[in-house]
Amino acid sequence: MATKHLDGKVAIITGAAGGIGRGVCDAFSAQGARLVVTDTGGDVEGRSGIDSARVDAVAGRVQTAGGEAVAVAGDIADLAVAEQVVRTALDTYGKLDTLICTHGILRERMIFNMTEDEWDEVVRVHLKGCFAPTKFASIYWRQSQTGGSIIYVTSDAGIVGGAGQPNYSAAHAGKLGLMRSNALALKKYGVTCNAIAPSASTRMTDRGRMVDRAAPAPSLGAAGTARDPAAIAPIAVWLASDDASEVSGRIFGAGGHRISVYRDPVQERVLMGRSPMFDIDWLFQHWDDTLGQDRLFPEPIRQLGAPPSTPSTPSPKPST
Amino acid sequence: MAKHLEGKVAIVTGGAGGMGSQVCRIFAEQGASVIVADTGGDVEGRSGVDASRVQAVVDSITTAGGSAVGATGDIADMEYAESLVRTALDTYGKLDSLVCTHGILRERMVFNMTEDEWDEVVRVHLKGCFTATKFASIYWRQTRTGGSIIYFSSLAGIRGGAGQPNYSAAHAGKIGLMLSTANALGRYGVRVNCISPGASTRMTDRGRLVDRGGPAPSLSAEGTERDPKNVVPPVVYLASDAGSNITGRIIGAVGHKLTMWREPTWDSAIYSETPVWDIDELFRVMPETLGAGGWHPAPPTSP
Repeated sequence: MATKHLDGKVAIITGAAGGIGRGVCDAFSAQGARLVVTDTGGDVEGRSGIDSARVDAVAGRVQTAGGEAVAVAGDIADLAVAEQVVRTALDTYGKLDTLICTHGILRERMIFNMTEDEWDEVVRVHLKGCFAPTKFASIYWRQSQTGGSIIYVTSDAGIVGGAGQPNYSAAHAGKLGLMRSNALALKKYGVTCNAIAPSASTRMTDRGRMVDRAAPAPSLGAAGTARDPAAIAPIAVWLASDDASEVSGRIFGAGGHRISVYRDPVQERVLMGRSPMFDIDWLFQHWDDTLGQDRLFPEPIRQLGAPPSTPSTPSPKPST
Repeated sequence: MAKHLEGKVAIVTGGAGGMGSQVCRIFAEQGASVIVADTGGDVEGRSGVDASRVQAVVDSITTAGGSAVGATGDIADMEYAESLVRTALDTYGKLDSLVCTHGILRERMVFNMTEDEWDEVVRVHLKGCFTATKFASIYWRQTRTGGSIIYFSSLAGIRGGAGQPNYSAAHAGKIGLMLSTANALGRYGVRVNCISPGASTRMTDRGRLVDRGGPAPSLSAEGTERDPKNVVPPVVYLASDAGSNITGRIIGAVGHKLTMWREPTWDSAIYSETPVWDIDELFRVMPETLGAGGWHPAPPTSP
């Protein structure tokens, strides 16, 4: 192997005991990064509380492979825990370069059946669990002016919406909003922020609707296949490296064989009115020809003149 | 002139706000009966409830010959959200539309943001859409009458606002919830969309570039391009029968400009022979593949 791409870097990895977190820990360590690994060590639904043995085991595995890791067991959405995780990086290694958030829980339910608790806890863990460590890491980076990188692992559920996962979809989409806010806010401090939408087989996807519950969990046989969660790590390594120091505010996709990049949201069609007050009847007349065109194949932008009902109204701003 | 919402019943959250109150009034003008829902509180959500501000909107509608009833409370409270749907059914016998325009603002850079600022903005905005949607969708699932849900999101949720991590996350979250519910409720004839509005209200009076010494810009917005009335026409369209084939979309409404946002997909992808990319190989090919166009292109051009 040539140079190690993360030599000398220090990284915090949340959800380190999970399926995707595991691959990230191993790859980051193999690339020379020193780690703070954090997790509750709990179950997929976030109901089993803290199991520090599972978190310690992650650090142990990294150390056995010749890497450096220190474990913090706790709930990352707890601000005191998040602060402690950042302090552990500084106390142990003297600096911090990367925060990668892979943590999360799942409580599926159709919206009309979802309980308040199912909503609250999934949004809290996922979304506040990204805010909390980002806050304390960014306090450090703002002081140190050393630059850094933040990576949130999101989900396609946040990009296309999962029917039985209103809480999970909202939380993951929320991470994208937070990611973009951070990318703008922390640019002046040399901190990048990006998201990865993964596709892989883990205990979380073992709960999928199409999975045969009587058979062995699919994730047990994922290693080495196109569903291997280790496939998420390479793009995370790249984003944490100096090679990606100009890359911020973007969503990447990753899953067996594939690494992709999402386009930024753009407005594909426009309807421009001109009178001071947008005319409702005129809109009803023109919607189908303009905004309502075929969904799959964006048409060139089309502009229409002033609403016919208000021909004599002076236009404060011509359509451009 | 035909009224586009004749006989419809709509719940409008944030109904006392700058945009919400205009949604209420114009929905009523278009023939809808409206449940005006709001705390009646201040922009930061700190002043508690003020029923008089809700009643003022109801009065302005009934004075103009429309039909409206007020309900004051916190939309992120499950019991209140349930009571709104019950009020619609008890008062008007049905429900056709849920329009969520509610929201609060507590700006702070992420490194200075308190737990409370985070929690409350996410709770009000995002949970406030969940709660109302839950109870409306229980009703629509039973009746099979179909319905329309419209969330007011924000450009902050699409592109991010530097000093608004909480607000950006909550608004982006609404888009995720919109997409989820569009997928979940299509079979019941319920469509769900977002509006990304731009108008002058007390919320934008807090903007960084606003002269705090001068009069609030929103006070002189009436009759101009920045009049919050201008965001309402597409909302009427989405709530009307004409909009019954539209779901899962974000529609921008700023001044005279209406836009349809493109659905997110990935632009380009690279594939390795092995399921897990070789990291050295990835570093080698990135600049000439996914990074070939540069990572900071000019901002996406708005049509």
